[in-house]
Amino acid sequence: MSNNRVTRRQFLNYTLTGVGGFMAAGMLMPMARFAVDPILQKKAGGDFVPTDKKASELSDTPVKVDFTFEQVDAWYKSKVTNTAWVYKDGDKIIALSPVCKHLGCTVNWDGNKDFKNEFYCPCHGGRYEKNGKNVAGTPPLGPLDEFEVKVKDGLLLIGKTRANTLV
Amino acid sequence: MLNKIYDWVDERLDITPIWRDIADHEVPEHVNPAHHFSAFVYCFGGLTFFVTVIQILSGMFLTMYYVPDIENAWKSVYYLQNEVAFGEIVRGMHHWGASLVIVMMFLHTLRVFFTGSYKKPRELNWIVGVLIFCVMLGLGFTGYLLPWDMKALFATKVGIQIAASVPFIGEAIKILLAGDSSIIGAQTLTRFFAIHVFFLPACLLALLAAHFIMIRRQGISGPL
Amino acid sequence: MHKGKGMKFVGDTRVPKKDNKNVYPPDYSEYPGKTEPFWPDFLLKEWMVGAVFLVGYLILTIAHPSPLEGQADPTNTSYIPMPDWYFLFLYQLLKYEYASGPYNTIGAIVIPAIAIGSLMLAPFLDRGPERKPLKRPLPVAFMLLTLASMVFLTWESVVNHDWAAAKKQGQIVKTVEINQEDPGYKVYAKQSCINCHGDKLQGGAGPALTDTGLSADEIANIAHKGIRTMPAGQYKGSDEDLQKLAKFISGLKAE
Repeated sequence: MSNNRVTRRQFLNYTLTGVGGFMAAGMLMPMARFAVDPILQKKAGGDFVPTDKKASELSDTPVKVDFTFEQVDAWYKSKVTNTAWVYKDGDKIIALSPVCKHLGCTVNWDGNKDFKNEFYCPCHGGRYEKNGKNVAGTPPLGPLDEFEVKVKDGLLLIGKTRANTLV
Repeated sequence: MLNKIYDWVDERLDITPIWRDIADHEVPEHVNPAHHFSAFVYCFGGLTFFVTVIQILSGMFLTMYYVPDIENAWKSVYYLQNEVAFGEIVRGMHHWGASLVIVMMFLHTLRVFFTGSYKKPRELNWIVGVLIFCVMLGLGFTGYLLPWDMKALFATKVGIQIAASVPFIGEAIKILLAGDSSIIGAQTLTRFFAIHVFFLPACLLALLAAHFIMIRRQGISGPL
Repeated sequence: MHKGKGMKFVGDTRVPKKDNKNVYPPDYSEYPGKTEPFWPDFLLKEWMVGAVFLVGYLILTIAHPSPLEGQADPTNTSYIPMPDWYFLFLYQLLKYEYASGPYNTIGAIVIPAIAIGSLMLAPFLDRGPERKPLKRPLPVAFMLLTLASMVFLTWESVVNHDWAAAKKQGQIVKTVEINQEDPGYKVYAKQSCINCHGDKLQGGAGPALTDTGLSADEIANIAHKGIRTMPAGQYKGSDEDLQKLAKFISGLKAE
């Protein structure tokens, strides 16, 4: 017994700490995992949203394409409709976001008689070239955003927005 | 009658020492505005506590009508403010109290700072005080979203963007607060509600208890 | 040094001292003065201050009903956000070139972290025995500098904010039945109005057009000449259609 460095009291203290730690972990682990769930949740695939526009119908003139996707916010599902201006540049399909980079109005192709072949924003006269580049001297601060696009079974699919890659 | 009840309880529980520690002690002259008017600066801490009590009470009553749900939160706030008797005053107390508590706490912090009262042996109480300050700012930030009106939503978007800009763990903090990687919506509101009503107040009460116990252990710092 | 009833204390506290090497500021019991009992003498005075404070507080809540803007609408892209007033200085800081964009971490994390960190560690940074502000110039100077910059940033943020626009953009919009078959609505949809004022006239980049309180003539006038940020010459159609449009919009009133 004289070699025994751990006294009875110390042993009891360690055991108490251990059991206490087990109880704390047992209580808190499910709760912690519960709280951080959104961080670990994988986003379901299918980021591309189908439209009813046939890829073959597209020309080099931008047309308005509506696409509706279901936004899932936990227990709320809502339909959100977005629009894109889509045209063909050679074989490449380009889809531009209609959201003006000034204050978020909606731009239109050939929206003003005086500015042919440009995107025009009616709010403050912001103008963009066909590739989305903002015309210097008008209010917008940058080029229009671009959507990722895909063609499947001849139909156009629209994905996420990204910064304009054409300018 | 009251004395008899007191004696009856005291005989069994010996509450006199507790009572003495809370209430029966001398207050020095230098913090008493009746002697030196400038001593009113020593009132800021007490007033902060007073507003905090009002916040806790009015908040408890607000939850009788409030629903933390994106479809109904705004409607319930609109209803309790416009349809319920005294709703405008109860919500007003909570709304303006949130600003007042920041003001009073700020003034209290400055008083402690400029009188050098945080010096040895009161360092720990100062640290607890700064933590209370942070918890209060957190309460302000989370409470701002709950009415689910325009300014609430967009201010929270900015706030969460700021949190997301922390290097490395920013994205995780953002999702932990917002409950979703891209939407400020249903899960954000419930999370902010939980943080505002349960988590932060629990921290606040624990810190306040520590703050007051330390004040009673250490007394008020001496005159300058 | 024996204080109180012969006990030794840590500084001017009631915590008994274990060694007596350092010299602390004297206990307030060493200052002959008029101490008084906390209960009930001093507490009564505190409560009197509290009562005055409460009256002011209640007057504030009655005089200024707490604001409530329209219900949150995540699809509104033109809303200019604004935090509560005590976060304004941080909001303003992030507008500066070296605290935003690629330097965002500096403005959003580094500067606030340094401020909170040094506030929390103040007792360890300012260790001298002096308590009078004038005898510890550095900590006091830093604090005053911080205060001045917070006041300045808040001020800058307030004067640079368009308060009139802020008030307008958050207004509660009463829902109004929109008859999309109305000839006026058809003109509305055909012209560029719908881009800014929304398909239900609920507003977007421009304000909502329901409950305007304007007469048909005034609306027709605005459609031609613009108003505030709305440029002139937005309406491009016949005068006959314009009359339909103006009548339609001025007739939209919430019940």
